Amino acid sequence: MISKVTINRLATGVPGLDEVLGGGLPEFSFNLIAGPPGCGKTTLAHQMMFALATAERPAIYFTVLGEPPLKMLRYQQQFDFFDSEAINHRVRFINLSEDAMAGNLDRVLKRIVDEVLQLSPGLVFVDSFRSVVQASAKDGDSHNKLQQFVQQLGMLMTSWQATTFLIGEYFNETEANPVFTVADGLLWLRQSVQRNSMVRKLEVKKMRGQPTLAGLFTFRIDRTGIKLYAPARTSAAPSSLMDGDDVRLLMGVPGLDDMLGGGLPRGYSLLVAGPSGSGKSILAASFLAEGASRGETGVIAAFEQNPRRSRNQVLIDLIADGKVGLVDSRASDLSIDEVMQLIMVEVKRLNASRVVIDSLSGFELALAPTFRDDFRESLLRLVTALAGEGVTVLLTSELEDRYTDLRFSPYGAAFLTDAIIVQRYIEVESRLLRVLAVVKLRASRHSHELRLYSIDDDGIRVGDMLPDQEGLLGGRPTRKPGSLPLAADADVHDG
Amino acid sequence: MDSPDNLISASPLAYRVGEDADVAQIAKTVGALWAEIEEALSPIIGRRGVVALYRRSLHLSRAVYSWMPGPPEGIDVAIDTRLLMSALVLQNRAEALRAGSALFQTFHDLLASLVGPSLTERLLRPVWADYAGTPRAKEPST
Repeated sequence: MISKVTINRLATGVPGLDEVLGGGLPEFSFNLIAGPPGCGKTTLAHQMMFALATAERPAIYFTVLGEPPLKMLRYQQQFDFFDSEAINHRVRFINLSEDAMAGNLDRVLKRIVDEVLQLSPGLVFVDSFRSVVQASAKDGDSHNKLQQFVQQLGMLMTSWQATTFLIGEYFNETEANPVFTVADGLLWLRQSVQRNSMVRKLEVKKMRGQPTLAGLFTFRIDRTGIKLYAPARTSAAPSSLMDGDDVRLLMGVPGLDDMLGGGLPRGYSLLVAGPSGSGKSILAASFLAEGASRGETGVIAAFEQNPRRSRNQVLIDLIADGKVGLVDSRASDLSIDEVMQLIMVEVKRLNASRVVIDSLSGFELALAPTFRDDFRESLLRLVTALAGEGVTVLLTSELEDRYTDLRFSPYGAAFLTDAIIVQRYIEVESRLLRVLAVVKLRASRHSHELRLYSIDDDGIRVGDMLPDQEGLLGGRPTRKPGSLPLAADADVHDG
Repeated sequence: MDSPDNLISASPLAYRVGEDADVAQIAKTVGALWAEIEEALSPIIGRRGVVALYRRSLHLSRAVYSWMPGPPEGIDVAIDTRLLMSALVLQNRAEALRAGSALFQTFHDLLASLVGPSLTERLLRPVWADYAGTPRAKEPST
């Protein structure tokens, strides 16, 4: 019986990359890492090399022209993955600049072959490949020579069972280049600068033999190296949501659960929209506190404008007690996937069932400008992915005080969520009162009442309706004919 | 700051030359050690990279040992220790040993300032291999 070849997939050691590659890097593949200067190509190569190289599967890193090896070693060793002890053991650096300077591709190839024969590496890196091309440009027929060179190298490395990476500076992706055709894998790195933010992105343009994730994925480079933010999964069915599961989560606000028909169904996403000061964050804190009182844990992603502004004391205590995890990134160039990852790490760490994002307005400002255009799509992915994890999500959204139209968020986010609670100010007899209503609760009965509410030290208190008033949503209701003035001791008062 | 005597004891030169070695032998060992350094480093940082470090080390060492030759003119593609060896044999034994050791130390420190002590140690291990921190040779008598 003839069985098919099994392609081993190597774990690259770069967080998120294996997922984007579709399960790791195919062994014996011939890959190109391309992109403009400074985008992290050499770092990516080093990180993979130190992760993959073993005594049995050593790596050779050929340095050609370009960055002087001394500089490269000087800077790469700043990363945690750099292991000095590995050098001359499982990792070997070989400088080919003398051969490359002669401009003879055959000589460069021969050197590579000789070294590969001698050391039998499992991994081969050639950095920078672009300089090999440039060195050969002196010859008239450089294009053909290069193609031959690449093909020979590709064939040789595969036959010698070496997984190979060519690292090169390419600015133009559409440039016809024989290397792109020969390569099994093509990793394209880029960085975009908009206003004061710089965002790095990686694309797997090609990877033979396996389904990669399409699109651009943001990554960061820090002390630990490259960290890629694989997208939030959107397909997973909620594992904790069974058919007929009608478990409801209480909101921690007396009266509000009744309005929701007994609480917020588990796995739902709820948008709380209201003007500044209407108590959205207080409602969110009550939601988390209620969970904590029932032994649940939660996560809050806070994107407040002023980090020093003191938060709700209840929330501070919950965070201090470890019952609520805080995602509080102050970076001004976040991507949605990065936020998603930060939230998911906390959700998994605490086994959390409740998540709060406070607020969407702050969240949007925290994103790098380049992501703001796609905010709605990304938000949809975020909400869907969180629902896929079976957690219940509460998002707050700043609502502009406009009384001529009724909208629930400036992002068109209303359709994304399963439930909406809207809060508004109204003026009644020269007093500013607050009302709230459950506007939407998918597949569930809920109250349609507009209820007064107040805020005191214990949080939100839901009061009565104002049956004598009409036109509440216009902001300036009028008293129905024949009704009495609002009692001075109405059960609504400001906290 | 290390004293010259400490430099000698920390140098592979002191380890390689016997107590009764004369300046000619010292000069020869210096030449051999530089060849080893070149062999160990040039595959990694390139021959020109090693030469550049050697030239810089010579230049720095001349501040103390003014009789040392300056870096050869032009751009070399390999370390040329002939001038250095000729200058060493004109010194007395102690001075030759001190200067030779100091030059290695300067080179070592220069490399360490660029790629850090631990990588430097790793890269120069083939040359310093025999030397495990305690010189076989005793402190040379002057």
